[in-house]
Amino acid sequence: MISIADLKQVYRDGATTHAALRGVSVEVAAGEFLALLGPSGCGKTTLLRCIAGLTEPESGTIAIDGETVYSAAEHINVPARMRDIGMVFQSYAIWPHMTVAQNAAFPLRYRRPELGAGQVRERTAEVLRLVHLDALANRPAPALSGGQQQRLALARALISDPKVLLLDEPLSNLDARLREEMRFELRALTKRLGVTTILVTHEQAEALSLADVVAVMDDGRFMQISSPRDLYDRPRTEFVAGFVGRANLVPAEVIATAAGGSAQWVSVSTPYGVVECYTERPRAAGERATLAVQPEALAIVPAGGDLHGAVTGTVEGAAFIGDATELVVRVGDTVLVAKVATTDAPAAGAAVAVRIRAQTCTLLS
Amino acid sequence: MKEHVLARPRRRGGDRSFVVTAGVLVAIGSALILCLLAILVVQSFSSSGNYASLITPTVIRIVLNSVELAAIATVVAFFFALPIAWLVERTKVHGKAAIVSIMLVSMLVPGFAIAMGWLFLLHPQIGLINRLSAAAFGPAHPVLNVVTITGMGIIMGFQLAPVAFLMVSAALRSLDYRLEEAASTAGAPDIAAIRRIVLPLIRPALVSSAIYVFIIAFGTFDVPAIIGWGNRIFTFSTYVYLTTNPQAGLPDYGRAGALSVAVLGAALLLTVWSRYLSLDSKRFAVVSGKGYQTTQLALGRWAFAAYAFVTVYLVAGILLPLAVVLWESFLPFVQPLSAATLHVANLANYNAIFGDAFFSGLANSALLMAVVPPIVLVFSFAFSWIGFRTQLRGRALLDGIAFLPHAVPSVIMAVGVILLSLYGLNHLFQLYGTIWIIVLAYSVSWVSYGTRMTNSGLLQLSRELEESANVSGANTWATVRTIVLPLISRTLSLAWVYLVILAGRELTLAVLLTTPGNTTVPAFVWITWLNGSLTRGAAATVCYLICLSPLIVGYSFLLNRTRRSSTAVGSPV
Repeated sequence: MISIADLKQVYRDGATTHAALRGVSVEVAAGEFLALLGPSGCGKTTLLRCIAGLTEPESGTIAIDGETVYSAAEHINVPARMRDIGMVFQSYAIWPHMTVAQNAAFPLRYRRPELGAGQVRERTAEVLRLVHLDALANRPAPALSGGQQQRLALARALISDPKVLLLDEPLSNLDARLREEMRFELRALTKRLGVTTILVTHEQAEALSLADVVAVMDDGRFMQISSPRDLYDRPRTEFVAGFVGRANLVPAEVIATAAGGSAQWVSVSTPYGVVECYTERPRAAGERATLAVQPEALAIVPAGGDLHGAVTGTVEGAAFIGDATELVVRVGDTVLVAKVATTDAPAAGAAVAVRIRAQTCTLLS
Repeated sequence: MKEHVLARPRRRGGDRSFVVTAGVLVAIGSALILCLLAILVVQSFSSSGNYASLITPTVIRIVLNSVELAAIATVVAFFFALPIAWLVERTKVHGKAAIVSIMLVSMLVPGFAIAMGWLFLLHPQIGLINRLSAAAFGPAHPVLNVVTITGMGIIMGFQLAPVAFLMVSAALRSLDYRLEEAASTAGAPDIAAIRRIVLPLIRPALVSSAIYVFIIAFGTFDVPAIIGWGNRIFTFSTYVYLTTNPQAGLPDYGRAGALSVAVLGAALLLTVWSRYLSLDSKRFAVVSGKGYQTTQLALGRWAFAAYAFVTVYLVAGILLPLAVVLWESFLPFVQPLSAATLHVANLANYNAIFGDAFFSGLANSALLMAVVPPIVLVFSFAFSWIGFRTQLRGRALLDGIAFLPHAVPSVIMAVGVILLSLYGLNHLFQLYGTIWIIVLAYSVSWVSYGTRMTNSGLLQLSRELEESANVSGANTWATVRTIVLPLISRTLSLAWVYLVILAGRELTLAVLLTTPGNTTVPAFVWITWLNGSLTRGAAATVCYLICLSPLIVGYSFLLNRTRRSSTAVGSPV
């Protein structure tokens, strides 16, 4: 549905230049939900704006549904208003001088000029029902709450039935609880409509829970594009391991490849014991690599438990975060972050034994 | 794939044609402003003697007079503006809307009306107050003589106080009150917080508004013309008028040009400095544009002192002079108020002025008030659009060009327009002597004000509001029509009404450009006054004030409402 090839973009401010996109390529299938995840300044919003046609890239190509909308070589740059897209802006960009219905109906006037007044009314009512704003259709837009404005922005983006829906940090201005509700609603809605969706976010929880595919970006490049599960369990680089989750990075040495030669599972030796872990490519015995250990992959051995394969350390700090507790455990001169159920959490200062769970970690490439 | 692209109907014209239209308007506007300044410079060198002829004791004294006049006016303006701005922005005093209205009305009442009033009151011989004192203490001691540089400076200060007030209160309003609170929590008493925190932070704004007021005072014509002219006290503006409208001989545009260029250079330097200062203040990020809920001081018993202060301003700045103008307008010649003169009061002056000249002046003024505001705003919007919505190289320079007329005293602007029409545009069409030369002068002068307003309008507007319209399929024309203009309509309407009033009250530009065919009402008043019919001039002023008053009241109301409901007000200066 969307294919982007070798897209580059440079911002110039006087003499200084800043490369926002350093040649990114990605394919998004029809109906797929892609999240662009990365820290601020990584180029994710620039990429979204390039797809929308609001920012002109330096080079590369963008095609939407087989139609080239941007190509530096062919001198094509279709303006935003002629691309088949709907977009929700970070600020929602609800026009304060219009009512809810006027806001929602606006794209029909330009994108579907053939519709009569009756059809416009019908379609507007339909889309407002979709986002549960039908009761507020005649209200002035500034009278809406943040969550309602967000839903109105969504209705406006969807009303002309675009092939592509672009979402620029749509949930970042909502409070935590509303954000979680909207997350479910957004996912359900886009899947029901089957619209191809691209979401920009800096929150990993948002990206992982909403998207089919997550593209992690840093410094204008894609670091990894994979399913949310793979991204979390099987990060490829230190950056991804650190940004998605808070993985402990542990030096490791391959001691044995698994039987059967699949090379998916290998045993590695670490300062915290020997552990079986996942590897994407075959490894030779003796190869050194970094092991990403998510905080949940660390188990605290209860008192009197089996200490085989565990190392001992001291709890330096414990942060209670509700259902879980994060522990900072000092082992020798290194520090590990572990996340355990609050009911099992030892107190700060306690001596504990820690073990890496088997088959939960990934060797970084 | 390519065929598919071409098969779709393409209507990109809507984006490009908008930018092209705006670009053409900006090019025309910039060219006019630059040509105008260029022709002043060229003309000033028309004869080698132009500059040399300026080094005479007379001219030097006149320039020094003008500097003194402007300095006094600036001091008096801030004497009233600072406390009143502080009162409105930082205290809990009641009736703030009324105080703001007083300031606005006194800014909008034509300056020549106030000047007349004070001349009638404090002229050394015919002034009402001085006659009363002469009757009581003998003729040797006029109480106060307004026909001096000091006297004119004080009256001008009254008129410029509202301009300073608007600038100072805008600076106070945009100051983050938390900075003051931080000082208080650090143990500083209120006075120390004002002195150590508030004043340093608004100092750039104070200095740049003082420079602005000084430049206006230096070039204003009204007060020195009405008060100084008849008594041969000349300032820069009246002297330029005299050189271009000599009582005998031909107008000496070369000499006027040389004088203008010299003064213009100084004014430009001052303006660049003040712009630099205001950029500097942005570095501190004090001017955030955010509406802060300020902590406000309860005045208690001092409230009466505050009201008394405002009342002094109201009476001296507006009520007393206008009352005297009204009274004298019924008299055949200037006389004090007494039972005896009550008998000679009649409507003769009014009957005399209601003739063709007055009515054609009224028609001309009405035309200017109708035509100038839309022209200024269309050009201003084009300048702002190119500046803030395109990536054009040198757009900051264009904004600077639009700001240039701001630094040009009105008299100089008028001389420039005359030269431009005589030596440039008149080859294309007859401009000099028609109302359109005045339209041109007003439009060029006020595009600097207009762009400040449209700039602040566009700056307030989040880009995403327009981008979401683009993504919705609207082209630039449609986006401007359906999103931008409705959203900045409040700023625009405020600017519009202010421009209507400016076009109505402007005297300086009008008198220099006036010929029998294109006389405005203020110019008519001036000519009547110049011919010695002081009370007849007063009658014309009264009639005109009555015509303008609905606009003045309407504007005060509109601005007051805007100030209350939002902080996003560009100060109308």
